Amino acid sequence: MRWGSYLLLLTLLALGAMAAGRPDAYTVSATPLTTGPFTDAAPVSTLAAHTSVSVLLRKGGWYQVSLDSGQSGWLRMTALKFTSVAGEARNSVLVGLLGLFESGRSGANGTTSSTGVRGLNTGDIAHAVPDTAAVDGLKSWVATPDEARQYSAALPLRPYTVSYLDADGKPGKP
Amino acid sequence: MSTSRTRSLVVASVMLLTAALPARAVELGAVIDAFQRAFFSSGLHEEEQIGYAAAATILGATHPVDNPEVQRYVNRVGLWIALQSERPDLHWQFAVVDSEDIDAFAAPGGYVFITRGLLLRLNSESELAGVLGHEISHVVLKHHLKALQAAARTSLVGQVASYKLAQNGQNSAVFDQASTAARNLYSKGLDKDDEFEADRAGVILAARAGYDPYGLLAVLQTLENVDPNSNRMQLLLATHPSPEARIEALSKITGSLDEYGGNGEGNERFLEMVGKLAPPAPVAATIPAAASHSPPAH
Repeated sequence: MRWGSYLLLLTLLALGAMAAGRPDAYTVSATPLTTGPFTDAAPVSTLAAHTSVSVLLRKGGWYQVSLDSGQSGWLRMTALKFTSVAGEARNSVLVGLLGLFESGRSGANGTTSSTGVRGLNTGDIAHAVPDTAAVDGLKSWVATPDEARQYSAALPLRPYTVSYLDADGKPGKP
Repeated sequence: MSTSRTRSLVVASVMLLTAALPARAVELGAVIDAFQRAFFSSGLHEEEQIGYAAAATILGATHPVDNPEVQRYVNRVGLWIALQSERPDLHWQFAVVDSEDIDAFAAPGGYVFITRGLLLRLNSESELAGVLGHEISHVVLKHHLKALQAAARTSLVGQVASYKLAQNGQNSAVFDQASTAARNLYSKGLDKDDEFEADRAGVILAARAGYDPYGLLAVLQTLENVDPNSNRMQLLLATHPSPEARIEALSKITGSLDEYGGNGEGNERFLEMVGKLAPPAPVAATIPAAASHSPPAH
């Protein structure tokens, strides 16, 4: 079981490395490639729909990408979709590392030991027997407003005044 | 005012009253009134009662992860976001639940749960803020509360329970009725428009809290790439619009949030805290190398 796990780990790492070294996303429509992650950045070129790109970085609503041609620049994140194979590897490397080993032995730091994959499907909810003790137990982890403020300031974060936007993007109600 | 005019007004009033409230309806109205006080008022006490039952139902299907440090982390981040909402004074309670499935839940009164499976797929605190912002918005907008109340109103079982409550004043009837409605609601999901609305509001709450508001969009792009036939996606996809549809809907508003795009990411704090859900060596030594192969980096 353990050797199988290590083998799977190596496979995941290899998949991750492959995903990082080749085009892992494509444009969903013709879209401008710009010199920076903002609307009024100078255009580099316009990419046709279904152009393959490698994603290097996300900054807010923009991805920095490179092309096989050597070109690089920034695209709006909604202009891209990740290819499913690269996406699977991209999304499962960390999960594989963390989840895989816990299934084989007890977790550290009091983490509940998993003996297998826990499912939570519609049937589990539909037949759930309410657990009030579990709800009562949540209180012990609750933060006070002061704790929350101090913790956010430490990042650091600061609050902004931002209006909700409706489905058409107009300010008002969400 | 002349006598004849007064009389005609009285006659008209009696006719109106008779038409609107025949004798049986008056009796029924009194009973409904009692039901409404018990279950369907918009009061905070009633919301908390219903939310408690809904939270207990969810935690009947899965249980909180036994890791106080990570639980406190999620509570601090979650409360900070909730403090930016229109309902900062609710008793907000957050928890990571021990399921490898990818999902998150909210219950009336301020309960928010995220599965371990979803938490481990996130890359930064701004992505966590996007998920928690979505769930907090469900509570702020009373989506589940309204759905649970509507279900209870139309349920014959619920009406009988309501009647029993009106007679006996037993809180257990409220609990039973709410948990019955919750089993149904949380396995079938809210109206899709509620989900789109919570996406839009959640993004704004994350922005108000000082986070990069594109975290939720990044999470949805991650989910877009998880095999939709995977068991881990079953409940999420049964209860929510597809990630593709949510991305498309969100793309109509996110273009105007560029000015907040460079705000807090918190990827280091996030990975440090969530890494505590993993065992130490030898895995811990391997994580940075793997993480560096996991675009998008932040």
